[in-house]
Amino acid sequence: MAARALTKGLWGLRHSRLVTVGHPCGGHQYATAASIRSPQLQIDDATEKVINQPLEKPDFFRVSELFSVKDLFDARVHLGHKKGCRHRLMEPYLYGCRLDQDIIDLDQTVEHLQQALNFTAHVAYRGGVILFVSRQRQFGHLVESTAKNCGEYAHTRYWQGGLLTNAPIQYGPGVRLPDLIIFLSTLNNVFQPHVGIRDAAKMNIPTVGVVDSNCNPSLVTYPVPGNDDTPVAVEMYCRLFKMTINRAKDKRRQMELLHGLSAPSTPSS
Amino acid sequence: MAGSRLERFGTVFTRVRDLMRSGVIKPSEKPIWYDVYEAFPPKRDPLHVKPHTRPSTKKQETVPEIFYREDEARAKFYEQYGTGPRPFDLSKSSFVSTCQRFVDKYTELQSHSELDGSALFEETGKALLSEGIVLRRKGAPPVSAESRDPVLELKLTEMLAEQQSVSADSEETTHSTHTP
Repeated sequence: MAARALTKGLWGLRHSRLVTVGHPCGGHQYATAASIRSPQLQIDDATEKVINQPLEKPDFFRVSELFSVKDLFDARVHLGHKKGCRHRLMEPYLYGCRLDQDIIDLDQTVEHLQQALNFTAHVAYRGGVILFVSRQRQFGHLVESTAKNCGEYAHTRYWQGGLLTNAPIQYGPGVRLPDLIIFLSTLNNVFQPHVGIRDAAKMNIPTVGVVDSNCNPSLVTYPVPGNDDTPVAVEMYCRLFKMTINRAKDKRRQMELLHGLSAPSTPSS
Repeated sequence: MAGSRLERFGTVFTRVRDLMRSGVIKPSEKPIWYDVYEAFPPKRDPLHVKPHTRPSTKKQETVPEIFYREDEARAKFYEQYGTGPRPFDLSKSSFVSTCQRFVDKYTELQSHSELDGSALFEETGKALLSEGIVLRRKGAPPVSAESRDPVLELKLTEMLAEQQSVSADSEETTHSTHTP
């Protein structure tokens, strides 16, 4: 029992280290109340144009070019679970049932994935903190390395009860919560809905989640119906999210240079 | 920062919008994702759906079963020939299995010629044989399987009887040698 407490403490430490290692380009850090800088403090016309211009176009970051229906099919995204495991609320997203195995409608998946990637790109463009969550042991390392490569955060370990809801006490006052949570799998290890979905809805944080045919998509803000168990499919999702986030951040740097702005976190004297 | 932790009422967006409207959340504290959600809302509002606790008696089949016309030919093929001589290689996306070649040939012959049923089946088998694929019929007749066991059993009992008689003889001989 002592060993378990020790490992829990170590996990907490590791999580906080993970949290502080990857800085997004905006320079936001988990910090104490004294050094918090509100991101909207210095708003002038050029900053406002930089921030609001991407919202005018339907696909500013051209995320629809990153994948096609054939890519999803080759990555076996359309394969769901068996008919007995089907969740009632996933029925609208299913194409049909072939010999008792649910087949997910890839036309719908394409639209949902485009919306999800577009939302992620915009949030990353505005310097939002993104958290990747997946409780699947086989993809833990992949998700963590994906988060590290885009400069965002990941949590693939045991989700402690008060992680989001009791954050100021667990991590110190003035902690900044994520602005978007991406679930690579919305179930935990006992095939129940992940606590993070309900917690994110409680803390008014939007979620993007890959929902398989046995998941509950009702509370996920931008669900993406698709296979969450095949390694090829999960690698594809990680690759797509990484590419969109990097694209969005590069675009932000480009736009700032174009309009002759410095980084928004430095205060203007 | 103020917030509303009622995940079962309304969506994330409606709660934040109403909090801002009432003045609880100041415009300077507006979340980053708010404008993005407003510009690109999801297809379905992420409202919480209450699960049905009472067991529902009606079960409507809203998800259709996927069956094709070629499935009849596929079923007959698997019944007669098993999986076929070549194993499936799923690593190639353009892989055509023996069953698929059979079905393609079957549909081709069906559209061209006027044959039907088992005659068409035989014709397809012959056509594939001419292309070089040998189809071996699966399913050994059940009689031979049963007849094997009694033969084995007999052998075992014979062997046991032999062994016993041999050991009895050897005992007798040793006994005879010992007794002067």
